Amino acid sequence: MGVNVRISSLLRKFTDGQELVEVPSNSPLECLHSVIEQFPKIKKWLYDNQGELRPQVWFFVNKERIYADDLNKPLNDGDELLILLAAGGG
Amino acid sequence: MLSKRELARYERQLILPEWGKEGQRKLKKSKVLVAGAGGLGSTVLTYLAIAGVGKIRIIDSDKVELSNLNRQVLYSDSDIGKKKAVCAGERLESLNPYIQIEAIDEVITENNVFELVADYLIVDALDNLPTRHLLNSVAVKRNLPLFHGAVHGLEGRATTIIPGKTPCLRCLYKGVIPGKIPVVGITPGIIGCIQAAELVKYILGVGELLTNRLTIFDGLSLRFSEVRLKKDPKCEECKSCH
Repeated sequence: MGVNVRISSLLRKFTDGQELVEVPSNSPLECLHSVIEQFPKIKKWLYDNQGELRPQVWFFVNKERIYADDLNKPLNDGDELLILLAAGGG
Repeated sequence: MLSKRELARYERQLILPEWGKEGQRKLKKSKVLVAGAGGLGSTVLTYLAIAGVGKIRIIDSDKVELSNLNRQVLYSDSDIGKKKAVCAGERLESLNPYIQIEAIDEVITENNVFELVADYLIVDALDNLPTRHLLNSVAVKRNLPLFHGAVHGLEGRATTIIPGKTPCLRCLYKGVIPGKIPVVGITPGIIGCIQAAELVKYILGVGELLTNRLTIFDGLSLRFSEVRLKKDPKCEECKSCH
């Protein structure tokens, strides 16, 4: 049992339509890297060409928003990590 | 004071126990600024106007384009090339002649944003982050609520920001998806309705607001989900509100 990474609908086309991707328990950033290993095409939406995490990537652990200081803290088995991209249209 | 015609016009909402004449009077006395008269703005403006919000200030510097008409329901082909704020104002006046509409055809800048917002309740129906941040800055400094919506394709989000009690927009947004934004009319329709509903509830003082929560509409699976928001401890905008 690991962490379930929930992929928002905007990103699901890069995970073959999969909404939940199970990865080994680790920090949110490591979990994200595990998703990228499985679905490499998703990377350019999450990281820029310099390898920096894009500012529009939002993380939620168990449905609660987390910020930069929490991205390297370990998650527990059974936790859910939601990845959202900030939408800007009106 | 509500006239006989107004009482008849609003009859179906007046009979709601949480609404009544007192609620209608509150709406009539309220002042709302809608920044952006595009997809979200068209919907928010329509529902605020027909609900009877007494004074609505519309700000948009764009002109109506053919490619707007798949989602911006205030306009028609005959409006193409005309000022959006003015067209929106005329349409809303015809929808409800018992309210005041002020159409402002200006770009919101850091020089005019405080004057434009004044003490109005703020609806963020914009399509660009720098201007959203300008509105947020005024909201935080003047302690004004800000009703936020954003869309991309078939996905939309909304939250209600109350300075001091919720994260501000700058806590949440450091960037957005770049490039041309795909939008289908139904998405700003749904999110705009949520923004209008939040505003009406806020003015009436009823129900539970979408504060510290982000509602996410996923049109592909037709599901709403919700996540909890919290302040960014490093936010430069609202750190004094922590």
